[in-house]
Amino acid sequence: MNGARVSRQIIGFVVLAFVCAVVSNALAGPERKLRWIGRYEERTREPAPASAPHATPGVQAAAPGVAAGPKTFPPHPDKPWVEVSGDDVAALYAAGRVLFLDARRTGVYRDGHIAGARSLAVWESDVDDKVKALFGEGLDQSAPLVVYCSGGDCEDSHMLAQKLYFVGFDNVLVYKDGFPDWQKRGLPVHTGDRP
Amino acid sequence: MTSKLLSPWLTIRVQFVLAALFVVAGAAKIADPPGFAHEIHNYRLVPGEAVNALALVLPWLEVVTGLALFLGLARRAAATIQGVLLVVFIGALSINLARRHPVDCGCFGASNVARTEAQRLRDMKLAIARDVGMLLLVGQLLAVTSRDRTG
Repeated sequence: MNGARVSRQIIGFVVLAFVCAVVSNALAGPERKLRWIGRYEERTREPAPASAPHATPGVQAAAPGVAAGPKTFPPHPDKPWVEVSGDDVAALYAAGRVLFLDARRTGVYRDGHIAGARSLAVWESDVDDKVKALFGEGLDQSAPLVVYCSGGDCEDSHMLAQKLYFVGFDNVLVYKDGFPDWQKRGLPVHTGDRP
Repeated sequence: MTSKLLSPWLTIRVQFVLAALFVVAGAAKIADPPGFAHEIHNYRLVPGEAVNALALVLPWLEVVTGLALFLGLARRAAATIQGVLLVVFIGALSINLARRHPVDCGCFGASNVARTEAQRLRDMKLAIARDVGMLLLVGQLLAVTSRDRTG
């Protein structure tokens, strides 16, 4: 008898928690909202070595932290991403016309991000809409697109790269060492909501 | 000895300690569901499709059972749920510790502090020890509520 009562109470707690979660998520702002069904792809491939093996053979690599020569980053349509080093990223940034995407949380982006980078926080509910909107801008899908997060074992940039690959971007470069490396190099940083 | 361990004096304190810990832990996670989903994902134990639902419901389960203990309502059911949660947390941490996969516990919400692998592994051991301690408190409450049948 007592066991049945406790079982009913347990079910009651679970239902109550579920209802609270539904209401709370419905009322949450975009930075706190989650889709109920997550779509987090695991790394499906071994990442390429850090120094952009797809770069044109025989082309000089950039000097550390300095704008470089004509290193090119051709499309890699059979891979979701290629990991690139800080030197390559610095060279791409210096060359201009490369879009940078920040996969970290919006609040962290606000505290400091690569100057010009857009926020596509991969753990926030509107990331898929932002990816689709980016695709909708009609950008050249074969042009290099640099995504980054916090370096180290952070995988947010890989997750974002996979989403970008699925909508059709086939030249996604993952800045392996991420924002900490960028700061270490003393390269331009912006704060706030704007790129 | 047993009567001391099951005394009302101790039970009320155990109840309030568990209530406080679960409400605080749940509230911290409710404040940032994407951060908690990220932590769950890092454990590499939950299918991607289930990560968000878990990140949304589990903190509320902690809060409602914590509040129930605070109010002295359905104590046995609340303690049972908390016991199950603690066993799951201990299991998840232990599996990752065994495979030397350092994770942030996420027990009191997402962590923004960068730590080394060694620090994370040490913190995981501490988190397991804390959860085992809390599990003992839950055991005390379950023993009391099985005796008095008041729930």
